[in-house]
Amino acid sequence: MKSLTINHLSKTYFDPYAAKHVTAVQDVSLDVPEGEFVAIVGPSGCGKTTILNMIAGFLPASGGDIIVDSRKVSGPGPDRGVVFQSHALFPWKTVLENVAFGPKMRGVGLKEREEIARDYLALAGLSHAAERYPNELSGGMQQRVGVVRALANEPAVLLMDEPFASVDAQTRMTLQEELTRIWQARRPTILFITHDVPEAVFLANRVVVLSKGRVLEEVEIDLPRPRSWDAMMDDERFKTLSARVLQLVRAA
Amino acid sequence: MSALAQVDAKPSMAWKRLRSALYFVFPLLCLVFIWEFTVRIFSVHPGVFPGVGAVLKAGAESIANGSLFLHIGASLARVLVGTILAVLVGVPLGILMGVSPGVSTILTPLFRFFSVLAGIAWIPIATLWFGYGFGAITFVIFNAVFFVVAYNTLLGVASIPPQLRNAAWSLGANRWDMLKEVLLPGALPNIVTGIRTGLGFAWRGLIAAEMIATNLGLGYMLFLARDFYRTELIVFGMIVIGILWLLIDRLVLAPLERRTIERWGLVR
Ligand SMILES: Nc1ncnc2c1ncn2[C@@H]1O[C@H](COP(=O)(O)OP(=O)(O)O)[C@@H](O)[C@H]1O
Ligand SMILES: [Mg+2]
Repeated sequence: MKSLTINHLSKTYFDPYAAKHVTAVQDVSLDVPEGEFVAIVGPSGCGKTTILNMIAGFLPASGGDIIVDSRKVSGPGPDRGVVFQSHALFPWKTVLENVAFGPKMRGVGLKEREEIARDYLALAGLSHAAERYPNELSGGMQQRVGVVRALANEPAVLLMDEPFASVDAQTRMTLQEELTRIWQARRPTILFITHDVPEAVFLANRVVVLSKGRVLEEVEIDLPRPRSWDAMMDDERFKTLSARVLQLVRAA
Repeated sequence: MSALAQVDAKPSMAWKRLRSALYFVFPLLCLVFIWEFTVRIFSVHPGVFPGVGAVLKAGAESIANGSLFLHIGASLARVLVGTILAVLVGVPLGILMGVSPGVSTILTPLFRFFSVLAGIAWIPIATLWFGYGFGAITFVIFNAVFFVVAYNTLLGVASIPPQLRNAAWSLGANRWDMLKEVLLPGALPNIVTGIRTGLGFAWRGLIAAEMIATNLGLGYMLFLARDFYRTELIVFGMIVIGILWLLIDRLVLAPLERRTIERWGLVR
């Protein structure tokens, strides 16, 4: 099962300046079934990145457990693909080599892994950029490659931490539409983190509102797919759901 | 007129190179001119300082009898072997320090101490250990390059954004992959800079060491010439030492450094 379950997850940091412990995440339980698109939304500092880093295995949890693909996980692994806010592409590798990196680590031969990488690049309309280096690409393209690199490794769960926060508004909308399209085509299990309410509502099947390290509420997003911004702009249901989530976030 | 203006505005790459080479050589030629002029005007005794002609003659002689190439070959071989050994040991150690705060805490004070000593101070003990000649001098070169390369490798590893390592872990990299695919390439621009800086120190150390601890090499050539009061050969040797370093640095090290840094877009 390519699903993600979090049980009673918590994280306490030690703040050396204040010389005291700070609770960043407290008793968070969450379920992302196979093929689902779940977004966590909340104001900055509410513990979103901490949760994602624990799931990714970059940060040890203080309590609770994380189950991916029916197995308890600790430490990073290829079952959980990560898309970072700053693209985190290897600057010394071409786009193709970056995307082929996961398969290479699995021991897939050169020809085969380049084929895989080209397939995934084509899926995101990036075929023309295969031989370029990351620093030759625009911010939006870099993020696309970051998404494709994670997908090409076919992880059980895809974890995304505000991946579109640093690109301009127009590009962001395009990237969001592309992500929903790719999700519909391949149905990866996605946990998406953002502070942007419309983004969460636009993308996800379910939005989890986080407040001060706790889950405040979960909102089902029953908007039809495929979703496009042109249609959403005047969609009453979208407006109502966004307003509802925004209210929760502001109360948070 | 317009054609001329265009040429001026956008000189070709080759012309730019030629021009910067000319700018570089011109002051040196001026110096040669002043030197010859001074020697003639004040009728300087050749035993104090030779004229340009005498130096050229001494140079031609040492080329004709092959001794110059023998000395250059010996010096370059020592530099090459010392540098390769220093890189082979320095890079892994620098990476180990870069990934392990414990190792780096223990080794940093030692590095501080030994980098002060690196160079000529090792010659007496090196000659006791290795005898006069190749071993002792290569050891001096090794010392000069090793500390700089190891330290720069450490800096290089530290400069790799943590997200790149995280990305590699979550794409399934193991420790060996991490070393090969992330740490080495990520630190490479710093490693190359370290080699260039270290070789600069090593070249100075080399000449000093060769005056003391050998009977072959450019430093020895100077020292031997002094014994025979051959100032023209001394000056020729000094010129060779300077030019050789400039050639190595400008034609090999600097382009290598520029290419690794530019290629990876690490300088934006
Ligand atoms: N390494 C750390 N040490 C101490 N406190 C931290 C550390 N990282 C995050 N925090 C604190 O934990 C809380 C949650 O941070 P974070 O997960 O980054 O929030 P978000 O991603 O929602 O903006 C914040 O109050 C932050 O100051
Ligand atoms: Mg964050």
